[in-house]
Amino acid sequence: MAGPGPGARWRQGRILLQIALRNLVASRVRTLVVGGIVALGVVVVVLGSSLLDSIDVGMRRSIQGSLGGHVQLYSAKSRDPLALYGGTMGESVLEPIEDFGRLKEAALSVPGVLRVVPMGIDQAMVSMGNVFDVALERLRGDVRRRQALAAPGPEDEAYESHKAHVHRMVTLLQQELRKAREIADETSGFYKDRKADFDALEQAVAQGFWERFDQDPLGSLEFLENRVAPLSLDGGFTFIRYVGTDLDAFRQAFPGAEIVEGSPVPPGRRGILLGKLYAEDWLKLRAARRLDKIKEARDLHGRRIAKDEELQRWVKENAGQTRDILLQLDPVKTRLAVERLQQALGSTDPDPGRLVAALLSTDDGNFDDRYRVFYQQLAPLLQLYTVRVGDVLTIKAPSKSGYMSSVNVPVYGFVQFRGLEKSGLAGIMSLMDIQSWRDLYGYMTAEKAAEIGRLKERAGARMLAREQAEEALFGSAAPATTSARAQAFDESRLLQRRGGARPQDELFQRTYSQQEIDRGVALNAAVILEDPRRIAQAMPALEAAARKAGLDVKAVTWLQASGLVGQSMSVLRIVLYAAVLIIFAVALVIINNAMVMATLQRVKEIGTMRAIGAQRRFVLVMVLVEVVTTGLLFGLLGAGLGILLVQAVGWAGGIPASNDTMYFLFSGPALLPRLGTTSLAISVAIVFAVSVLSALYPALIAMRVTPLEAMQSDEDG
Amino acid sequence: MPSPPIVSVESVVKDYKLGKTEVHALRGVDLRVERGEFLSIAGPSGSGKTTLLNLVGGVDVPTAGTVHVDGEDTSRLSERALTSLRLHHIGFIFQTFNLVAVLDVFQNVEFPLLLQGGSTAGERRARVDGLLAAVGLSEHARHRPSELSGGQRQRVAVARALVTRPPLVLADEPTANLDSQTGGTIIDLMREMNRRDGTTFIFSTHDPKVMSHANAIVRLEDGRVVSREPVGAEGRG
Repeated sequence: MAGPGPGARWRQGRILLQIALRNLVASRVRTLVVGGIVALGVVVVVLGSSLLDSIDVGMRRSIQGSLGGHVQLYSAKSRDPLALYGGTMGESVLEPIEDFGRLKEAALSVPGVLRVVPMGIDQAMVSMGNVFDVALERLRGDVRRRQALAAPGPEDEAYESHKAHVHRMVTLLQQELRKAREIADETSGFYKDRKADFDALEQAVAQGFWERFDQDPLGSLEFLENRVAPLSLDGGFTFIRYVGTDLDAFRQAFPGAEIVEGSPVPPGRRGILLGKLYAEDWLKLRAARRLDKIKEARDLHGRRIAKDEELQRWVKENAGQTRDILLQLDPVKTRLAVERLQQALGSTDPDPGRLVAALLSTDDGNFDDRYRVFYQQLAPLLQLYTVRVGDVLTIKAPSKSGYMSSVNVPVYGFVQFRGLEKSGLAGIMSLMDIQSWRDLYGYMTAEKAAEIGRLKERAGARMLAREQAEEALFGSAAPATTSARAQAFDESRLLQRRGGARPQDELFQRTYSQQEIDRGVALNAAVILEDPRRIAQAMPALEAAARKAGLDVKAVTWLQASGLVGQSMSVLRIVLYAAVLIIFAVALVIINNAMVMATLQRVKEIGTMRAIGAQRRFVLVMVLVEVVTTGLLFGLLGAGLGILLVQAVGWAGGIPASNDTMYFLFSGPALLPRLGTTSLAISVAIVFAVSVLSALYPALIAMRVTPLEAMQSDEDG
Repeated sequence: MPSPPIVSVESVVKDYKLGKTEVHALRGVDLRVERGEFLSIAGPSGSGKTTLLNLVGGVDVPTAGTVHVDGEDTSRLSERALTSLRLHHIGFIFQTFNLVAVLDVFQNVEFPLLLQGGSTAGERRARVDGLLAAVGLSEHARHRPSELSGGQRQRVAVARALVTRPPLVLADEPTANLDSQTGGTIIDLMREMNRRDGTTFIFSTHDPKVMSHANAIVRLEDGRVVSREPVGAEGRG
C-alpha cells in the first residue's frame, strides 16, 4: 500500500503542530523552564554580539582614523611585524624603505587607491623644559632691551629680579649636584670627565661673577647657557611617541586629526604638532596635572580623597613636591604669590614653600575651592605647560648608528583625534614632519651634512678626526667611543644654544618640495582606499605593484597593523564565543533532560499512536516539532528582548569608557551598542541548532517506543 | 468457496524475558477466526490473552509458529509493513481508552484517517461525524477526553477504531475500567458495528457477563487454548 502523499504530509504536519502547541500549553512549567533557558541564551548571544559588533566599529574608526588607514605597507625584510601602537617589547623594528617616492608611485598606480602617506613611528626623548633655559632666555631678553634704552627705567626692577632669580637657581643647582655626587662614586669616570663642567658651575655661583655681570652681560649669558645650563638635572626627559610623516598628506588622509591650539605646520616646513593628551600628561606642570586628575576622578567617577588610595597619593605628592612651582617664581612673582595665598588661606606664614604646600594639601571638603584658587590666583604667575606654541623642542634619540642624535623642531600646535581625545593610544601621538624624523632617525640628509660643515667653520671648533667626520656624515656603524659621543652631542648643542643669528632659524624657514619629502626614507606607509570594503582585493594588488617597482613590501590590513590592540579584539571575540558555547552546551543538557522526561511520560500516548498505525518517523517528527517550536518561539522572544535591551543601553547613554583602552575601543566616551543583522541571524540560527540538537535524543527514545508499551502502561487514559 | 479466515494462528509459541526469568506466555496456540465473527477470548489473568491479542494485532511476533492476518504472515513483514497493516486493516480498542489528551474528540477519531492520507477534509468530516453519531457522541465532538466519562471515552475509542473501516477490530479488556452497565453498552455498541458492517471483533475479557455477549468464547489457560464454544445455548440474553 502506498504511503501518504505530499498533501497528506501537510495535513499530518498541521496536526503535529497542533499537538505540539497544545502539549506546550498543557505542561506550562516545563515549557517555561525550557523556553526560559533558550530565551536567556539568546539574550546573551544578542547582547554579546552587539557588543562585539560595536567595538568592532569603534575600533575600526579609531584605528583607521588615527593611524592605520585601510592598508599598511612596510618592508617585507623587517625583523618584526608592523605594530602601529607599539609591540610588547617597545617599538617593532622595521627595515626602512629607502625611497618612499617609488612606493608611493607604485601604490597610486593600483586602481582604487586614494592616498599614500609615509610614516615613521618611533619613540624619542624630549626634555621636559629646562627652567634654566626659560630663565636665561628671559634674562637675555632683558639685556637686549636695556641695551636698546639709554637710561635706566622701570624694566630695571624686573631685570635685577631676573638676575637674582638665575643666581638663586645656579646655587640651587650646585646644591643638588653636590648631593648627587655624594651618593654617586666620586672617582667614576663620569665625574672626572665633567670636572670642567663643575668648575664652571663653581664660577657661576661665586658672588664675583654676578657683580661683574653687567659689564659683559652677553658674554656672561653665553657662559651660563653653554656651560652651566646643560648641567641642570631639572626637567629630565620624558618619552614622546610620534609619527614622522608628510604632514599635509596626513591631514588629508586623516581628517579626524584636529589642531586644538596653534596652527598647522605650513606646507613643506619642519615642525611638530604635539598630542594634546600627551601634553596634558607629560608637559603640564605636575601639580596642575595632578589637580586635574583628582578633579576628574571626583567629578566624573565619584571617587573621594578620603576613601581612595590613589587620590591620597596624588595629594601627598602635590603637597610634597612644590619645587617645580617655586623655581618658576622670581622674587617679584614670589611676593605676589605669598600675598595671594596668605589671603586665600587666611594665613600669615611668609614662607612661599609652606604656603604652596598648604594650598595643595587638599581634602574632599576644600578641594573644589583650592582648585579654583590654584588656577585663578597661582597659575597666572606660572608657566603651566613647559612647552608652548612657538617653542623649539629638542628631541633626542639613539640613531641607527648607536649614538645619540637630536633634532630641534618648532612646536606649531597641539593636535588631537576627533572622538579619541581621551584615548591613551591615539591621543598621545604627536605628528612630526618627516625631514626632522629622518634627521633624528639617523638618515643623514645632505643638508645636515652641509650644516655641520658650516658650523665647524664658524665655531672654529676642534677638528674632528677623519673617522669621526665620516661617522657624522654617513652614519656608518662605527664603534661609539665616549669622545665620539661627546662630539656628536657637542654639535647638536651648538645647534641649540647659539645666540644671535641661529642657523636653525634658517632650517625652520626652509620649505621642502613634495619631491624632497617623498624621495627619502619611510618605515611604513598608510594607504587610503576609495572603497574601504575592497581592502582584501587591494592588498595583493599593492604588493604586486610594489614588486614590479623592485620593492619587497608586505601589505597588511589596518587591523593586523594594530598589533596587540587588534589581537585583543580577537581575544574578546574568542571569549564571547566560548561563553556562548558554554551557555548553549548547558542549555542543551537541561533542555535535553526536560524533553527526555517529557517523552518518557508520554510512552503510552506514543505507543498508542504506533499501535494504531503511526510510523516511527511520525513520532520522531512529533517530538522534533515540539522542541523546535519551543526553541523558535522562545528564541525569537529572547531575540526581541535582546534587541530591546540593546536599544535601552543606547538610550541610557551607552556603556561609559572608564579607561584609555576602552576609550580607544569605543572610539569615544561611550559605547553605543548596535546590532548587525548578521549577528541577529546567527543568534537565531544558533537557537534553532540547539533546539534541534536537544530534540534528537528524546526523539530517538520516542521512536523506540513500541506499540506493546502502550498496552502495558497502566496509567489512566 | 469459503473466504479464508481473517485470522489464523498456528502452533504459536511466545516466550519473553521478565528480568532474569523466562516467561512462557503462549505454549502452542491454534486459532482460526472467520470474517464477521464476534469472538471473546476468556481466561484468568496471566493466561496469555493479551499476548495472543498482541500477536494477532501485529504488535508483537511469535517465538515460534505463524500468525496470519488478512492473508499476511506477520513474521514475514518488516516493522514498517506491520505498522501499515495495523493502520489499514486493524482497529484497536484499549482497556485504558488511550486517547490523545490534547486533541478533541473529533480529532481523536479523525487521527487514523490523517495517518492514512488520501482523503479530503470533507470526506473525513463526513466519516467522523457519521461514526460519532453512531456511538452517540455528536454533541461532544469538540470536547477534550478529560471532559468525558469513562464510558464516553471508550465510545470515542470505538469510533476511532472503526474510522478506517478495518476488517478486524481487536479490543483488550475493553470494559474492565467501566461499570457493568456502561460496559454492557459498549459491548452492545461493538455488536451493532459487527452486525452492520460485518467487522470482525476479537475482544479479551475475564468478565463472564461480557463474555456472554459474544458469538463464541475461546478459553485460554496457562498459554493454551482449552476450549472454544459458541455462545447461544447458555446464558445469552
